[in-house]
Amino acid sequence: MQEEIMSAKNQALAQITSAKDNMELEQIRIDLFGRSGKITGLVKRIKEVPVESRQQVGILINETKQTLENLLAEQKNSFKENAREWFDPTIPGIKPKIGHLHLVTQAITEISRVFEGIDFERVRYPEVEWDWFAFEGLNMPKGHPARDEWETFFVDTRENPKYGKTVLTPHTSSGQVREMLKVKTPPIRMINIAKCYRRQSDVSHVPMFHQFEGLVVDEDISIVNLKGTLDYFAQSFFGKERKTRLRPYHFQFTEPSFEVDISCGNCDGKGCKLCKGGWLELGGAGMVHPNVLKAGSINPSRYSGFAFGWGVERTYMMKGGIHIPDIRLLYSADLRFLTQF
Amino acid sequence: MDIKILDSWLREFLGTKAKPADLAKYLSLSGPSVERIEKFGADSVYDIEVTTNRIDSTSVYGIAREATAILPRFKVHAKLKRTKTSSSEYKFVKKVSYLNPVVDSKLCPRFCAVLIKNVKIGDSPGLIKTRLESAGVRAINNVVDISNYIMLELGQPVHTFDYDKIKKHKMVLRESKNGESIATLDRKIFKLNGGDIVIEDGDGRLIDLAGVMGGNLSAVDTNTKNVLLFVQTYDPVRIRKTSMGLAQRTMAATIFEKGTDTELVTPAILKGIELFEKLCKGTPEKEVIDIYPFPFKSKKINLNLDFVEKRLGVNISKKDISDFLTSLEFETAWTGNNLTVNVPSFRSRDVLEPEDVVEEIARIYGYHNLPSEVMSGKLTGRSTSLQFTFEEKLKNYLSGWGGVEVYTSSLVAEDYVSQNALRLINPLGTDSEYLRTSLMPSLINAARQNSGTFESFHLFEMSNIYLPKKNDLPEERLMLAGIFEGYKYRNAKGIVEAFLEKLRLNANFEINESKGFAAGKCSSILIGTEKIGYIGFPENSSNVYYEFEVSKLFGLTQKTTVYTEISKYPSQVEDITFTLPEKTMVGKVLEEIRYLQSTINNAELRDIYKNSYTFRISYHDNTKTLTDKEVEQIRNKILQKVKEKFGGQIKG
Repeated sequence: MQEEIMSAKNQALAQITSAKDNMELEQIRIDLFGRSGKITGLVKRIKEVPVESRQQVGILINETKQTLENLLAEQKNSFKENAREWFDPTIPGIKPKIGHLHLVTQAITEISRVFEGIDFERVRYPEVEWDWFAFEGLNMPKGHPARDEWETFFVDTRENPKYGKTVLTPHTSSGQVREMLKVKTPPIRMINIAKCYRRQSDVSHVPMFHQFEGLVVDEDISIVNLKGTLDYFAQSFFGKERKTRLRPYHFQFTEPSFEVDISCGNCDGKGCKLCKGGWLELGGAGMVHPNVLKAGSINPSRYSGFAFGWGVERTYMMKGGIHIPDIRLLYSADLRFLTQF
Repeated sequence: MDIKILDSWLREFLGTKAKPADLAKYLSLSGPSVERIEKFGADSVYDIEVTTNRIDSTSVYGIAREATAILPRFKVHAKLKRTKTSSSEYKFVKKVSYLNPVVDSKLCPRFCAVLIKNVKIGDSPGLIKTRLESAGVRAINNVVDISNYIMLELGQPVHTFDYDKIKKHKMVLRESKNGESIATLDRKIFKLNGGDIVIEDGDGRLIDLAGVMGGNLSAVDTNTKNVLLFVQTYDPVRIRKTSMGLAQRTMAATIFEKGTDTELVTPAILKGIELFEKLCKGTPEKEVIDIYPFPFKSKKINLNLDFVEKRLGVNISKKDISDFLTSLEFETAWTGNNLTVNVPSFRSRDVLEPEDVVEEIARIYGYHNLPSEVMSGKLTGRSTSLQFTFEEKLKNYLSGWGGVEVYTSSLVAEDYVSQNALRLINPLGTDSEYLRTSLMPSLINAARQNSGTFESFHLFEMSNIYLPKKNDLPEERLMLAGIFEGYKYRNAKGIVEAFLEKLRLNANFEINESKGFAAGKCSSILIGTEKIGYIGFPENSSNVYYEFEVSKLFGLTQKTTVYTEISKYPSQVEDITFTLPEKTMVGKVLEEIRYLQSTINNAELRDIYKNSYTFRISYHDNTKTLTDKEVEQIRNKILQKVKEKFGGQIKG
């Protein structure tokens, strides 16, 4: 019987070492240790061995069993190792060039989306504009002191007998009368986003900048509607918790006129270094002056409206806490700046 | 206009227990905006922005008057302590013995003056000095200080003449003539263009540039004995023209140019008389000359309750409306729901129409008390033009392939623009004097700024160029342009090609000479026969530059795409390598192959090695699978054509 064991062992060793995969290995294991396996059979037959050599045979069988089991396990592991090819997941990727949209483009897109949500039509009107649309049609006759606030660039061209001088529009409000003349019959819900120009250049002013102008004209438009629209904008653009407030102000083309404040996002309106008593100034707004409606051929006794015009850059800066110390950076072509956004 | 108001001075006219911080807050919510409160010793100074229409508030008294109307709405008691508006001691008359004025009332609607004799010139008392100082005005001597004090307290500019320097005690207030000159208090001499308001004395000398600055010839000095205290109102348009024209922006001029209240003249001169007696121990004449041919008549404005409620957007009681307006010194009378409002003199230039009255009601009601509701009503039926989203898409494509968007200035130097470009009359500098006619110089400049710092980049911009038109506004043409640095021509062009392909535009590149580009290094980009843009090397530049007219891209791009059936038969693809003679235009070769016959559905350049070019050619027939034999026939045609037309040989 001892010989039988030795021969079974040697045969098994040869089979295991020459096995090519797990499946084969598993078949070998079953052939050896399965219910009718060779080794299992040998174990059963220990009882037939004479008593005096039974212990010796027992030891041999156990040793054989142990050796074969170890070898099986070893062989199984070696299959796993061989299947694992060398690979380095830490090697860095090859990136495509990363492009960037300008902050102003991002701002304009967001602002447009907010107003399109309440049926405002985005429009664009001339940057090089007649004095009449920029001032006179907005209830600012020639020589009016209110014109001082717009540091206006004048273009060297012949004056138009009807519309006067050519200017670089200092505000998007020049689109108000143009929109009225285009639409003719209200309702009007306009959002005009365009480049504007003023003779100014310092850390918070650039000669070329952008404004967005809202104009709503319909029957029975009230201050309540203006407040509603501004709150809708503030909450969509700045965040649900933000509020706006109106304070009295004066513009020639609106009556009443307002300065619009938004609650400070930094301190939740409690008051901090960045704000004035919990509020930040957003810009101007007002109820469209009847003379402006008249300039746009709209009957002021039937229709009323509101308008607001704010700086795109300024408004966007207030949003994300993007503290840009010098706004002129926006209009430099410096990639070290542009690739940050 | 920003003014500084001392708290204790304000409370001389305003009876209230409101703390400065609350006062500031309430005023800002319903009236003039208090920008900040500064400590001034134990006192406080309010820094207040008064809007141009509210010149009546540009004074201590004016702010007190506003506060009196506003504070009660915040449940704070307030009472106005009124200034003196009449006197039994002094008579206002049209003629006096001590002065002979000839006044053009169109220039000066109210001319008022009084002689004060035996004035003792010296320092003002401490209180006056402190108050002037709190407003940022330097104390000089009691006479000058009185003028400034009255202006700050009541908002009425006041002037003083040395009476004895007015020759023959005659004054002719008239329009200046072109070429006249005047010496002013600050010892400057101004040559006038005509149309300014001036005063001439009995010897025909100009002694005052009225409303803007006093004349040197009649100035009060340390030897002055008799003073003519002078309080007027002027035509605001003239004052503004003179003040702007001569760049003399005195406080008096900035007040007068907004149009002052003719009724304010009386309290101002009475206050002046009082101060001259007190501070200078002077003796005023009992008769005040007052040339005021058209005394103030209150204007009536009619409106109704419905109008007020519609503009406000809430219901409001007639009593509240009356109360609010009365607190602002308007008089109100209701007939049913119709309201007649009498406007006080100090608001007569500002409150002209029903809308103006609504503003007064609304701000005292409190904008913060109004609800907030987006308007209801019909949709406009006009949705935003698709061009805006199209523009966004163009930018997204380019940035998706690594482009960085820039915004460069529309205002450029002369060497950036073509002839007859629009020029500014008042540019900030010569580097921003013209409206650009091309984006190319701006982008070359932008690339130059970054070159050296970055190895390779692609900048792009979408902006208008301005092309002059005769007797009209210029054409504002929206361009999309880009520049590559450190890109091989093929890589740069590939982005432009991919961009066009994304737009499903089947574009042709045609060699062309174009302005600003180096000779032979520019192609125009065409869709059919329509030129939509350019690509190439600008003169003296190693950067590839391209530009498109956005409206053309928009116009030519298909708004929807039609489905093309996917072929049931496979294409056969093979690579063929040709050796081409030097200076062969490879694009032309590919084009020739591609359009040789309809069974060739694609031809691409795969590889270049020296003068060997490998093309990948795809053969396809929609009706069947091409046999090897058929492909061979087509291939032979290609080989023949390339040999004939370009002298190219198949390699190997």
